[in-house]
Amino acid sequence: MNRNWRQDMPTPQAYWMNRVLFDVHHQDSHLARYKASPDDYMKDIPLEAALKAAIRDNDIGAMYLAGVNPYLLRAHCLGLHIPEKTFLESLRAAGAQQEEEASHG
Amino acid sequence: MAEIVSIHATSHTPVMINFPDAIPSEDRQAIFAAFRSVGEDILAARPDAVVVISDDHVHNFFMDNFPAFCIGAAASYPTPVEHWLKVDKQTLRGDAALGAHLLGEALNSGFDPSFSMNLTLDHGVLTPLHLAEMAADVAVVPLLVNCVQPPLPPMSRALQWGQFLGKALQSYQGCGRVSILATGGISHDIATPRMGLLNEQFDRRFMSLLGADDDAALVAYATDHVNEAGNGAEEIRTWLVAHGAARSLKARFEPVYYQGVAGWYTGIGLGRWNTAAG
Repeated sequence: MNRNWRQDMPTPQAYWMNRVLFDVHHQDSHLARYKASPDDYMKDIPLEAALKAAIRDNDIGAMYLAGVNPYLLRAHCLGLHIPEKTFLESLRAAGAQQEEEASHG
Repeated sequence: MAEIVSIHATSHTPVMINFPDAIPSEDRQAIFAAFRSVGEDILAARPDAVVVISDDHVHNFFMDNFPAFCIGAAASYPTPVEHWLKVDKQTLRGDAALGAHLLGEALNSGFDPSFSMNLTLDHGVLTPLHLAEMAADVAVVPLLVNCVQPPLPPMSRALQWGQFLGKALQSYQGCGRVSILATGGISHDIATPRMGLLNEQFDRRFMSLLGADDDAALVAYATDHVNEAGNGAEEIRTWLVAHGAARSLKARFEPVYYQGVAGWYTGIGLGRWNTAAG
C-alpha cells in the first residue's frame, strides 16, 4: 500500500538527523562549518556512525529510509546543489529496497 | 463587520521559481497567466487584508515545537526564508490586528492555535503572491497548517477550521473587506521514491468534490485517498480550510485551471469560490 510517510511519528534518530539538516540551513555560519567538515560538525550529535555517514555522504535514499523529513531532505539537496538526477536515482533505489522489505513482511 | 470579498486556492512549488524552464514554454505561460488572473481577481475585490492559508515547510517550525495550526500576528513578514529560492528578498505587509482577532476568536470557539509575531515566510506563501503579481499590494495574515510533518491534523479538522474562519472574519470590525487565498497541493511527492509521479485522477476528483454539495464525501475522499496522491497532496488541508470558509457564504467552487505538470513534479490547480462580491 502506498503511504506518504515513512514514520507516523519521528523516531529519536530521525529527530537528530532532522536537527542536523535543519541547523545547517537555518543557523548562521552552520552551512560553512558543515561544508568545511561534516564529521567535525556532527561530532557531538547523538547518532550512530552509519546515520552520520548517510548525512555526510549525501546518501539520499538512506536518509529517506531512516525517516528524515522529506522537506528537510529536499531543501538540503537544493542547498548543497546535489544534482537532480543523483537525488532522484537514490530515492528510486530506496523505493525498491522499501518494496523488498515490505514483500518480506 | 468585514465582508469576505474573494476566496481562491492555488498550488505552489519552488520549482516554478527555481526551474521554470523545466516545462514547455506554452504550458508555463498558461500557468503563469492563470496565476495572474487570480491576482487580478483578488486585487479587483479590493481587500484590506488577505488571509493566506499555507504551510511552513520546516523553516519556522521544527520538531522542538510544531503547531498543527498557527496564526501570524505580525505587522510585517520577511520572505523568503529559503536561501536557495531564486526570488528577491522582500517584506510582506502584515495585518497584526486581524491576526489577533482571529486568534482570540479561535480560542473562544473551541480551537487551540499557536500564534507567532515573528515568521519569515517561505515559498508556500510567497510563490502564489509573487506569480499573481500582488505581493507588494496586499497586507497578509498567514494561517499555517501542518501538512508536512506527521502527526498531521485530520482533514475534517481543516474543514472545521474553515467554517470557523468564515464566521470569525465576518465578525471583524477592524476593516471592511477581506480575501482568502489557500495555497498548496495538489498531487505531488517531495523527496520520496515516487517523486515525479502525479495522480491526475485524484486531483480532478478532489476539485470536482469541492464543487459538489457534499462535504462529508469531500472529507472522506481526501482522508481515504491522500496516500495515493503523495506527501505534497497533504497540503489540500489548506483548500479544505478555504472551502469551509466559503460554505459560510454558500459560495460554490469552480476550477480556474488544472494541469498535471510532471516537469514541475506537481498537479497544478487553481480555483475560486464564487462569493457575492467576487
